[in-house]
Amino acid sequence: MALLEIKNLNVSVGEKEILKDFSCSLESGKVYALLGPNGCGKSTLSGVIAGNPVYTVTSGSILFKGKNLFDMTPSERACAGIFLGFQYPVEINGVSYAAFLKQAINSRLKAKGEKPIDAVQFMKRLKTRALALGISDEMLKRFVNVGFSGGEKKKLETLQMAFLEPDFCILDEMDSGLDVDAMRVVANGVSIMREEHRSFLVISHYDNFLELIKPDVVMIMAGGHIVKTGGMELVQDLKEKGYAEYK
Amino acid sequence: MQNTNKYIPFGTDFKEVDADRSGRMDITVAEAGSYEAVFLQKNARLDINVHLTGKGAKCRINVVYLSSGAAENTINCHVYHESPETYSNQDVRGVLAMNGRTVYNGLIRIEKDSQKCEGHQNHRAVLLSKEGSASCTPELEIFADDVQCTHGSAIGALDENEMFYIQSRGIDASEAKKMLIKGFLSDILDGNFEKELNEWMAQNA
Repeated sequence: MALLEIKNLNVSVGEKEILKDFSCSLESGKVYALLGPNGCGKSTLSGVIAGNPVYTVTSGSILFKGKNLFDMTPSERACAGIFLGFQYPVEINGVSYAAFLKQAINSRLKAKGEKPIDAVQFMKRLKTRALALGISDEMLKRFVNVGFSGGEKKKLETLQMAFLEPDFCILDEMDSGLDVDAMRVVANGVSIMREEHRSFLVISHYDNFLELIKPDVVMIMAGGHIVKTGGMELVQDLKEKGYAEYK
Repeated sequence: MQNTNKYIPFGTDFKEVDADRSGRMDITVAEAGSYEAVFLQKNARLDINVHLTGKGAKCRINVVYLSSGAAENTINCHVYHESPETYSNQDVRGVLAMNGRTVYNGLIRIEKDSQKCEGHQNHRAVLLSKEGSASCTPELEIFADDVQCTHGSAIGALDENEMFYIQSRGIDASEAKKMLIKGFLSDILDGNFEKELNEWMAQNA
């Protein structure tokens, strides 16, 4: 069984149809890269999988671990193992990072019928993950994303991903606007988390980021659906020729 | 209803924290004195008048109101700068559920001889339903010419992007709402009224 199975998906925002007859099947244990020109629907796809209510699904289906995603709220999807790393992480004033992550992990534990994590264990786990990614735990005392630079926000998205241990991670252009060091933190997050039971969908425009990530499968999207699937050679191809042939 | 008169003497700092304060209050702050208040209003008529009568007198008034259903809040907060170099700050923040209603009337009055004063007034409200209403009149009456004053008001629903971001981490919609409300009020409540806020949210959010 595929981890994520999308069939004939059509999605609109307002009056505009973005995803058109989109299908793909993603297996466990693999890293998928999704590339495509601006406006082809990459971010829409990630938003729809995570359950962002701004998108309207007009037809088609998404099964995650065999379950219909459209029967689940955004938080239920997250508890089931879906994680979306945001292109523009949202600032939440007055809520500390630690309190936010504690509630997130406890919601997951509750969904599994387990007891909440105790404070000591929580901090230990969080600090271990932060250390592994080279992120200062000073940042965790501040409000969620408030006053952080673009690079810091993306590092913290990566930390959230490493901390929450989801089975399916979507990185929606998490590399955009990053310097080399921040890009390495994000790529490193993917490398240390690569496991048999986990998959990644990495949306990116940058070949140097994808070279760090080393995806197993590269998919090219245009006009609202996937037009080509292959390996890293597709990235090299795009670097030379651009998207002209897919438009 | 009980009327309160309070005098803050020279160089003294006075702070009070109270819930559902009602009745008229007249506070007089003498030279170099300061008055600070944190009020949580759920169903009451607050009528506070602060007179900054001595040079360098200060006041900081933080009001949080929670309105739902039958409850109605009125907040009248008037600050009179009657001496030079006085400072005031009114920070009023509210959450309205169901058909909750609140009226806030704020005033900063600066007399002609009260130069080099500073006065601020800020009101922000979150509407959890379409039926709630908040009305706000932040007024300035300034007769001196060398002062710094700001006033503003913003009323709106919880931010959809913030709601989705929190939910995408596994926190359900109702907990996400509570998290945002707590965050919104945290700096002016400064750790007070945690229990009251939780109880109110459990019933209304």
